Amino acid sequence: MSEDDFGDLRRRDTERHLLAAVDESDNSKRTVMFLADFFSDSPNVFITLLSIIPEPSEDFFPTETERQAWLQEKESQMQKTLAGYKELLIGAGFQDGRIESRLSIRPCTSIGDAILEEQEKLRCCIVVVGRRGISHSEEFVFGSTSSKILHHAKHCAVMVVE
Amino acid sequence: MAHPAAPLQEAKIRALIAAHAGPDRVPVRFKIITDTSDFFRVEYNDVVVLGGVPYWVKRYEKEGRFGIDDEPKYWVRRAIDLTTGATKIIKLVFHEQFEATVGEVKITCFRSPKKEARVLDLVAGHKNFMHGHWVLDAAGNNVRILEFIRGPRFDDVVAGYGTDHHDYFHNYFPKVLDQYLDLLLAIQFLHDHGEKHGDIRRDHIIWDDETQANRWIDFDYNYEQSESVFGFDLQGLGNILIFLAGRGDVLVGDLYHDQRELFDTLWGEDLSIAYKNRVANLKKIYPYIPDSLNRVLLHFSFGANIFYETTGQMLDDLAKARADMVKLSGRRV
Repeated sequence: MSEDDFGDLRRRDTERHLLAAVDESDNSKRTVMFLADFFSDSPNVFITLLSIIPEPSEDFFPTETERQAWLQEKESQMQKTLAGYKELLIGAGFQDGRIESRLSIRPCTSIGDAILEEQEKLRCCIVVVGRRGISHSEEFVFGSTSSKILHHAKHCAVMVVE
Repeated sequence: MAHPAAPLQEAKIRALIAAHAGPDRVPVRFKIITDTSDFFRVEYNDVVVLGGVPYWVKRYEKEGRFGIDDEPKYWVRRAIDLTTGATKIIKLVFHEQFEATVGEVKITCFRSPKKEARVLDLVAGHKNFMHGHWVLDAAGNNVRILEFIRGPRFDDVVAGYGTDHHDYFHNYFPKVLDQYLDLLLAIQFLHDHGEKHGDIRRDHIIWDDETQANRWIDFDYNYEQSESVFGFDLQGLGNILIFLAGRGDVLVGDLYHDQRELFDTLWGEDLSIAYKNRVANLKKIYPYIPDSLNRVLLHFSFGANIFYETTGQMLDDLAKARADMVKLSGRRV
């Protein structure tokens, strides 16, 4: 599914559409396993697996070639991870047609905001994220994506998988 | 920016050095360098030609960092612009990636010449930043040529104010707070333009004797952020505010040895989240600190439940603190 193709939103409004925001972390895998376990026998649940790759600043690489190489590798890794998550859901009983994967590579100051923008476009009724379990100090310096989504989500429910 | 220039004749450069320093000071041998890729090749008394301007290279700059005092920065050289006689700081290209640790948190930092060049363009004319320009050398390296700032470090100036904390806080801190607010507004200016300082520390603020203003220096760092884009910058701003409000860092070890009755009142939540040997809840040490100011300090304590995400949030809270300081010290707004 391309970044600008949001599918049949009219049909989607009548479904239980979950947006699962994932990356390559263990807590994302746990999140997908939870969804597989909890919703696999619900025939009208539709899942979009979303991964956001923030475009890294040019400052982090000596040359643009190295930046592009990093992005290509990251995209390839994430495509494999998304395919793995999809297989996991199918293995649990989800139909192939009820799962979509979206990979968005974009300039991004907040992954939480980017996830909520996608939620708004796709009209998902639930946003599902994993929780990294970061320390107090880490949250102080880096912030927390799940906290951001919990505090800023509108017109949807939020599910945080521990 | 300027394009690489044709090499100047050695005789012309010798004449420029003689005109600046006197004929006796012209080195017998020196290199004329237009490609600075190998910065170790640039030695004392060499001349680096950038954008057609010859710079007579002098000593390395040094910096205390991560517990290593006076670490030489081989890629940062003091130099004389032989066309004007002005002292400049020349920063050669050095890409570096390393992990900084603040408290228990590891942050991946990058040294980026491009970032500093971009910020130099952005802050040209801003009184609270160092100024300079950038030039591509003959090999395309982005070399930054910085104006030399004459003056002491801001923290050294502040540490000398007052006879004790009470005297400092009532008679000097209101002015220091105003200066801090200027510095905070300067960082807000960067953030509003999508840039970070990247290495906010109190030794990166110089009091410029000429312009009578504090100036942020050294913004060639960027860091990998997560959800909070400016979190590391804000953490640095908080550490500096705690230092300024306390007239230096209030260290737990010092209290244990010298003021046990105060030490006994402290809890873990009173300490700085970034440096657990420093007290952030300064009102426990200095009860006359207004609540409004202390509340800002507590955002940087281990007991904080909410953190600042933007400089604007911090400025809003400090406006109340400033008003209270004015009342406390009897100064007019």
